Amino acid sequence: MGGVLAASSPNPPPPVTSGAAPAPGLTVPPGFGMPPVSPVIPSTGADPGQQQEARTHLPNPGAFDECHRKCKEVFPIQMEGVRLTVNKGLSNHFQVNHTLMLSTMDDSSYRFGTTYVGSKQMGPAEFFPVMVGDMDNSGSLNAQIIHQISSRIRSKFAFQTQQQKFVNWQGDAEFRGEDFTATVTFGNPDVLVGSGIIVSHYLQSITPSLALGGELVYHRRPGEEGAVMSLVGKYTGSNYIATLTMGSAGAHASYYHKANDQLQVGVEYEASARMQDTSVSFGYLLDVPKANLQFKGSIDSNWVVGANLEKKLLPLPLSLVLCSFLNHRKNKFQCGFSVTIG
Amino acid sequence: MTGPESKKASSPGVMNWFRSAYRFSTDRNDFRRNLLVNLGLFVAGVWVARNLSDFDLMSPQPVA
Repeated sequence: MGGVLAASSPNPPPPVTSGAAPAPGLTVPPGFGMPPVSPVIPSTGADPGQQQEARTHLPNPGAFDECHRKCKEVFPIQMEGVRLTVNKGLSNHFQVNHTLMLSTMDDSSYRFGTTYVGSKQMGPAEFFPVMVGDMDNSGSLNAQIIHQISSRIRSKFAFQTQQQKFVNWQGDAEFRGEDFTATVTFGNPDVLVGSGIIVSHYLQSITPSLALGGELVYHRRPGEEGAVMSLVGKYTGSNYIATLTMGSAGAHASYYHKANDQLQVGVEYEASARMQDTSVSFGYLLDVPKANLQFKGSIDSNWVVGANLEKKLLPLPLSLVLCSFLNHRKNKFQCGFSVTIG
Repeated sequence: MTGPESKKASSPGVMNWFRSAYRFSTDRNDFRRNLLVNLGLFVAGVWVARNLSDFDLMSPQPVA
């Protein structure tokens, strides 16, 4: 429904464990996502005219890709096999990580990753440029460069190779206005062949709670071209976020509810007109910071039940993740175990 | 006596309705059925999230 990677159906990038705490002075982007932008803080103690203007000031609605993110973060991530990750901060700007993955279903692999964070500060705990890359034992590379060009414009370049062959290369620019966000992404452009994908997003705050927007995907190959459009609406309440994305390919609705500091609940509904299939998922997140414990559980309409348990073994710089998924209809069981050091 | 006979005549109609409703709700090959049933499950999930998730895990346990 959305981004470039989905439209061009490449091999998905490997999941990045998020159990490690960043080294001091380092900002590690969550997986391969954009670092968060600090919100605009309205001025206080102004005269009545300026106070009126401050009251009617619409907030920036955030990035288009982050509309469903809050709800997706509640659900457990499926993991299989054993994973050992060692993170080591070499300086305030540079960090390396080693990941060993042992699997019964896929090939076991080793990945070496690096993260570089520059010294251009744009906000609290936000430093640019950010360069993240990792390579596995077969020579496949994933790399991202994120840079804040100005106070409102952020750019990102991403590359993905399978051994020596480039399978994905894309660049995007995001402009954050006072009450809107606009993004343009160029995916796999090939001037010689005349192929590529252009994705444009626009999200506008209508009221302090309601944001509406749209996405346009244009793809072109020799002898073929097409465009897909979808619309999105996001409503933010005091402790909930409801988002709906609708397009010719289908619909995606999500509801995120923060019941209290320990419990968050998410409900997702997806319908694909192309695949002629629908599904609904219910997930919850239990966060017990006093026990350094986080538990995620989910159940969906395809009779798949999953759970994730993450425990930080303080005072050691150690984090343990246990994961299991059970597909009752197909009688399949999958479990995973991960240790993160550093 | 028309009362019991009318009841007997309407109960096969009700039974037929239940049978067709059961067949509709369990027919996984019907996209429209999947859409409606999952939409109902989504609405039920949202209701559960809004109304049944307000328990406090850190509250002190009651003393017996």
